[in-house]
Amino acid sequence: MSKVRILGIGSPSGDDQAGWLTVDALADCGVQSEHELAIDKLDRPGASLIGLLEQADWVILVDAMQSGDRPGRIKRFDQDAWPGYTQGLSSHGLGVLDALSLARAFGILPPRLDLYGIEIALACPGGEAGDDIQAAARQLARHIAADLATASR
Amino acid sequence: MTERRSVAIHVPVLARVEGEGALDLRIEQGDIAELRLRIFEPPRFFEKFLEGRHYSEIPDMVARICGICPVAYQVTAAQALERLFNVELSPWAQAMRRVFYCGEWIQSHSLHIHLLAAPDFFGCSSAIELARIAPDEVRRGLRIQGLGNELMDLFGARSVHPVGVRVGGFHGAPSLAHIRDMREKLRAALPEAEALIRWAAAIPVPQDDQAFVSVATQHPADYAIERGEIVTSDGLRIGAEAFDAHFAERHEPHSTALFSTYHGQPYLVGPLARLNLNHAHLPGAIRALLADIGFVLPSRNLFHSLLARAVEIWLALHEALRLLDGYRVPDSPWVPATPRAGVTTGCTEAPRGLLWHRYEMDAEGRVVNARIVPPTSQNQGRIEEDLRLSLLNFGLDHPDDALRLHCEKVIRNYDPCISCATHFLRMNVARI
Repeated sequence: MSKVRILGIGSPSGDDQAGWLTVDALADCGVQSEHELAIDKLDRPGASLIGLLEQADWVILVDAMQSGDRPGRIKRFDQDAWPGYTQGLSSHGLGVLDALSLARAFGILPPRLDLYGIEIALACPGGEAGDDIQAAARQLARHIAADLATASR
Repeated sequence: MTERRSVAIHVPVLARVEGEGALDLRIEQGDIAELRLRIFEPPRFFEKFLEGRHYSEIPDMVARICGICPVAYQVTAAQALERLFNVELSPWAQAMRRVFYCGEWIQSHSLHIHLLAAPDFFGCSSAIELARIAPDEVRRGLRIQGLGNELMDLFGARSVHPVGVRVGGFHGAPSLAHIRDMREKLRAALPEAEALIRWAAAIPVPQDDQAFVSVATQHPADYAIERGEIVTSDGLRIGAEAFDAHFAERHEPHSTALFSTYHGQPYLVGPLARLNLNHAHLPGAIRALLADIGFVLPSRNLFHSLLARAVEIWLALHEALRLLDGYRVPDSPWVPATPRAGVTTGCTEAPRGLLWHRYEMDAEGRVVNARIVPPTSQNQGRIEEDLRLSLLNFGLDHPDDALRLHCEKVIRNYDPCISCATHFLRMNVARI
């Protein structure tokens, strides 16, 4: 039995809850899997994300992203498509890609890593996520649930 | 005959410095004609936000000034207000304030060493590059940083903008079981911290020798962190209330952060200033280790700052372990406070150096006005002075990239937190 860890990353700021909404929707739809499953909601985990990647066979990670695309658009990133903007690496703002890049340099990335981004618009502190973000989160949750079900067969 | 160069260089981005700033360097006929650390990040008006706020809100509000050193802001504010309100902390709260603060030193120093400063000395442009060639060392650094965060979490409920401190003590006390677990982790981390010191000591750094005044707090009982008088390496010893009589802030047109001077001169705050002034207060074990690696204090080489941070990580682990020995859950983690009107000051040692607060309070316990002098603004003048001296010592005829890297290294020695917001420093060099 594989260990699967699903990580929804976000903050309590409007659309930036996209990762949290996805794992909430996943939990709501009663995800079924023969794998050992752990689902976490994380608030800007920084370097602590690295430790969560260890001892998992499959990590599914969902975060908000801004690339100028339509809000609600879902993208999946393969490792060779990770943006290389680590020049700005900072102790104040260690982002998800920084942490993943460090984990890759350490050689501790899990055998399978599915990295999803949900395009967002506004990240207002204390605000609700937009309808298009909530719909995208539900759609991505269904997709992940189907992936897990397929892998269990 | 060698011609003295007059060259113009434009280096648009200097990474691994906290906040938005720029460095302007103009070299004319082989001499530095202009050198300015230009901070253009907009002012954040935190002191103004505090006006009219009740004292009970202050620790949580000032924590928002910095995501890396919120404990420093909380503890300094609480110390100042407790002084005004004649609140005497219980021995438990006094000790746990220091433990809480140790967590912040551990995480802040470890992040700076491994993510910001060390890559320079290995020819790497980022911590990710460094992680490829020194994965065990960077992972060790992140483990130590994580432990610092856990320690902050224990007393503050979270490590970023914690909420544990209140005037009079803490809102809550960790359970004995949690403390037992933490003690085991601290004990296990001490050998890692010793290995970190030996690794840091082995990193080749430029030999530099500069005269500067070190400023830090000092306390007779221990290596000053959360309490103490302000002392300087030229013999001044004052209470926090006398800060304004000796230290002045002034505005420079090229910077939105204030410049501080001590008797009209730049001065150094931070880990190396602390070690220079307080090395006699280090525990015997660490003094023996420093003798073994040949780290002689006081030091006039700012490139020893990385090693100084490593030493303070060991110290903070040791202190937290010592103070948590025999831990008992107190009957109450706080004592009550009764507000009164007046002016009060406080000072502690933030990871980056001396942090000074001044509050005028009304009889209802509301802030009339506030002043906060953070370490980076105090170091700003010293950074400019250091850059000038270091560049002259390094030699201005080096290629532009080498000059730029040297400037970056010098600036990063101070771990400047320009505003705790963004992460780029632009540098413009002109040679004419």
